[in-house]
Amino acid sequence: MSDDIETYKLEYTPLDEIPKIRDKLRVGFSSGRLKSIEYRKQQLTQLMYMMKDNIGLYEQAFKKDMGRSSFETNLLELNGVISEAMESYQNVEKWSKPTVPPWTLEFSVMRPKVYKEPKGVGLVIGPFNYPILCSLGPLVGAIAAGCACAVKLSEMTPYVSALTARLFTKYLDTDLYVVINGGIPETTKILELQWDHIVFTGSGAVGKIVATAAAKHLTPTTLELGGQSPVFVDPRMDLKSAARRILWGKTINVGQTCTCPNHILVPSSGQDALVNALKDAYAEFYPNGPQNSDGLGRMVSVTHFDRIKKLVEATHGTVVDVFGDSQSTGANGKQKALGLMKRQDRFIPPTIVQDVTMEDPLMQQEIFGPLLPIVPVKDFEEAISITNSRDHPLALYIFSDDQKLKDQIRNNTQSGAVGCNEVCVHMAVPGMPFGGIGGSGYGSHTSKFSYDTFTHLRSSLDSPRWVDLFFSFRFPPYTAGKLRQARTMLLPRLPPRPGTQKSLFSSKWFRWSFLFALVGLMLKYGPINRIS
Amino acid sequence: MMSEIENYKLEYTPLDDIAKIREKLREGFSSGKLRPIEYRKQQLAQLMYMLKDNAELYAQAYKKDLGRHSFETNMLELSATISEAVEAYNNVEKWSKPTVPPWTIQFSAMKPKVFKEAKGVGLIIGPFNFPVFCTLGPLVGAIAAGCACAVKLSEMTPHISALTTQLASKYLDTDVYEIINGGIPETTKVLELQWDHIVFTGSGTVGKVVAAAAAKHLTPITLELGGQCPVFLDPRINLKTAAKRILWGRIVNTGQTCVSPNHLFVPSSGQDALVDALKEAYAEFYPDGPENSESLGRIVNVAHFNRLRGVVEATKGAIVDVFDTSKSAIGDGKQKALNLMNQEDRFVPPMIVRDVNMEDPLMQQEIFGPILPIIPVKDFDEAISFTNSREHPLVLYIFSDDPKLKDHIRINTQSGAVDYNEIGFHTAVPGLPFGGVGGSGYGAHTSKFSFDTFTHLRSSVDSPGWVDLFFSFRFPPYTPSKIRQAGMLWPKLPPRPGAQGSLFGGLAKWYRWSFLFALIGLMLNYGPSPKLLLR
Repeated sequence: MSDDIETYKLEYTPLDEIPKIRDKLRVGFSSGRLKSIEYRKQQLTQLMYMMKDNIGLYEQAFKKDMGRSSFETNLLELNGVISEAMESYQNVEKWSKPTVPPWTLEFSVMRPKVYKEPKGVGLVIGPFNYPILCSLGPLVGAIAAGCACAVKLSEMTPYVSALTARLFTKYLDTDLYVVINGGIPETTKILELQWDHIVFTGSGAVGKIVATAAAKHLTPTTLELGGQSPVFVDPRMDLKSAARRILWGKTINVGQTCTCPNHILVPSSGQDALVNALKDAYAEFYPNGPQNSDGLGRMVSVTHFDRIKKLVEATHGTVVDVFGDSQSTGANGKQKALGLMKRQDRFIPPTIVQDVTMEDPLMQQEIFGPLLPIVPVKDFEEAISITNSRDHPLALYIFSDDQKLKDQIRNNTQSGAVGCNEVCVHMAVPGMPFGGIGGSGYGSHTSKFSYDTFTHLRSSLDSPRWVDLFFSFRFPPYTAGKLRQARTMLLPRLPPRPGTQKSLFSSKWFRWSFLFALVGLMLKYGPINRIS
Repeated sequence: MMSEIENYKLEYTPLDDIAKIREKLREGFSSGKLRPIEYRKQQLAQLMYMLKDNAELYAQAYKKDLGRHSFETNMLELSATISEAVEAYNNVEKWSKPTVPPWTIQFSAMKPKVFKEAKGVGLIIGPFNFPVFCTLGPLVGAIAAGCACAVKLSEMTPHISALTTQLASKYLDTDVYEIINGGIPETTKVLELQWDHIVFTGSGTVGKVVAAAAAKHLTPITLELGGQCPVFLDPRINLKTAAKRILWGRIVNTGQTCVSPNHLFVPSSGQDALVDALKEAYAEFYPDGPENSESLGRIVNVAHFNRLRGVVEATKGAIVDVFDTSKSAIGDGKQKALNLMNQEDRFVPPMIVRDVNMEDPLMQQEIFGPILPIIPVKDFDEAISFTNSREHPLVLYIFSDDPKLKDHIRINTQSGAVDYNEIGFHTAVPGLPFGGVGGSGYGAHTSKFSFDTFTHLRSSVDSPGWVDLFFSFRFPPYTPSKIRQAGMLWPKLPPRPGAQGSLFGGLAKWYRWSFLFALIGLMLNYGPSPKLLLR
């Protein structure tokens, strides 16, 4: 393998090859190789080493495609996937064990059991913004579940995609795991085919296309979409800590993050203090101005650069002047911000915009760039109703120390996840599902949830002959006696009818005290006493 | 309420009302009245009493619509739905409690928690064959999860749908639960609207339409479809029990059951013995002939009756003559069977058809009627490859006492469920999901799984300020020391495949423990006395 990322050129998968790849994966799946958990673990290990051995190349590729610092590449992509793979590696035996439902008098003799079986051949369609985490992360679940899987990588990150395609053939079993590269024609071709589960990460508009294509084949799908994730800020809290965390969430991957805070809702009276705290955080993050920061990435494409630039031009909000006396000259924050933007380099400085209204051009769709609008509101009720008037966001953030307020906001909104005093990190926590609701998608992934995504729960019974000593009432000819038997066996005791008084005899308290009284009487007058 | 089923007339929901119903349900959901678990339990109890109080009316309605015996109505619909509701009633507090993921050193300080929250306004579209169990069953999940819900009932069971509509408005909170009635235009209208989850039970063809409509609104969906559920029969088993159970599964609801055994694979050598056992079971079930049985239901409508008549006429298999007792019957099994079929009454006698092959007209789609084709095969591998060449069935049945054979068939096939020596009961067992895979659908329901279907897992963290004492390495500017700190998040990898595990790695646990014991031993022998340590 070459150590120079320039030698990795993205080649689109020929259209004719795509159905052949699907068929090959189906043959691979049917071969039964993946029935062995050991083999799945071996492939998971290979995936981990594929990341670890090629950190240098991935750092170069991400720098090329997204101008991303190696710190973020390591922390947000490679580490994320390796942690998920490790979690699966350690738990896949446990996860794959058939489960037995709780014991019941009527049915446990039929030995009920739920087998965890692979769905078949999966498909993962990845986005450009986290091209590794959002494609190889779900792949970890497919491998652990025992599915074969095709991974369609984004054509907008050519180096990352070319590198990953090459590494797959070196590290993984290509009968079972294949990368498909390409643009719209290739993706269209892929979606014509039947898959056993599709995990898609991207925009709502494309999500609808994917779901419609899946519907034709009755394929279950998981959709990880975006959304305008709001931040509710209670100005009574420690704003320094809040500002750092929020600004950090907005600037990692230059705001091209589906869970990143899209806008802040703050009671008007608190806006100034919040802006000051954000200014401090800004100065701390970019001591030499954003344009000289090594930490900041770039917009993925010129199209996205233009879109963001236009938003800044169009906003009626006030761009906060955080740019100090940097090289950029201009009368106000907006002019300075626009002056710092560099199309050739796709550079957008993180930009804080205050006094934004919900009708502002900035607020019409998910920003997906490092612009942070602050929307002053009358109170949190207003913030809640603003949020509820839009699609449910992927995440909703609350910065407050007031437990009541936190509960109130959480109880009166819907969102994929809710982060209190924290942004984005919930994705990384093992045991927490990552997924949206409503406009932000459905289904979820990360480690165990990815495993479940690709797993079919196959119920099972094994009923001995003698069961019919009790269950032969089911056979015709049906008689009144059989109906009585069926009711006794199968109709459970109902709770008291709503509105009626609970009878004394049915209460637990009564039954226990009755039992104790009985034992007491027996001890006093019964045979036990006489014996002793 | 009237006690005469004739008084319940099905009225289609006016098309204009459908969007209003959705709006009303959304308001009902937003009102927050479903947030208290107590209220959900109260509605669940109301649902139970709605079925229990009106068992007699339901029995009449089922008799009218499906000719069904009250035994089957009670056992398969009312009892089953009540059981689900009781199960949910008893467990909904437990199910709704937020869960906390396992402790980890890096993240538990952020208090991770998963809240179980209602998805919003659900929609259930029910089939004609189990018009209560497959609609009010999932509704139990919606109620328990705290969702508002519309239920579209089948227009093919007019009395049952009319009765359920009236009862629902009497027993349930109509701000949050509403019945919609109608045919294709009404269903089309329903599907134009946005819902937060859809549970559909029915055919694959309609399932695709529902899924495509849901896709436009990014609505998650559960599809319970049918499929040709095969039976693999090992002739070494006790055939008497097997025959009774299989025939029972085939004739329950006159074969109009999605988990009903569609066809039976048996090694050729075992076919005769099996047919004899089935004949015996048949005689036991229908001592006076099927045409005189009170227990047998009817086909739902004339169209389905004609479809079944068509496949019986066309089959090249031999229809077993089990109709000896029928007075009117003359000729061979096929003629007798055709003579007994009665279009006016939509009566189809249960039939056993032997020597059927996979190309037979009977095998072209799900039969959905009381006809049991027997397909003799060379061996079970042939039966497995037949099965794998078609859509994955909703259930796969294996009758055998040989554990190796059972595993062999299970491991080499895919299906919604797999039952050994039993038919259909998994749908009734609490804790077993009921759902398909591939052509038989996706998602699952019944009690806890219905609750999960209508529940969103809302992840949450609550991160104290001091977390940044350890996590501030994440903030720019990224310095070499921050990179080192972030490196601590890297887990230790397992040994590279193919590489020898070192003594300290591969045998690590064993080695570490023995090292510890050795150390303790040495300390006890040569170290300071324990008394000294304790002082």
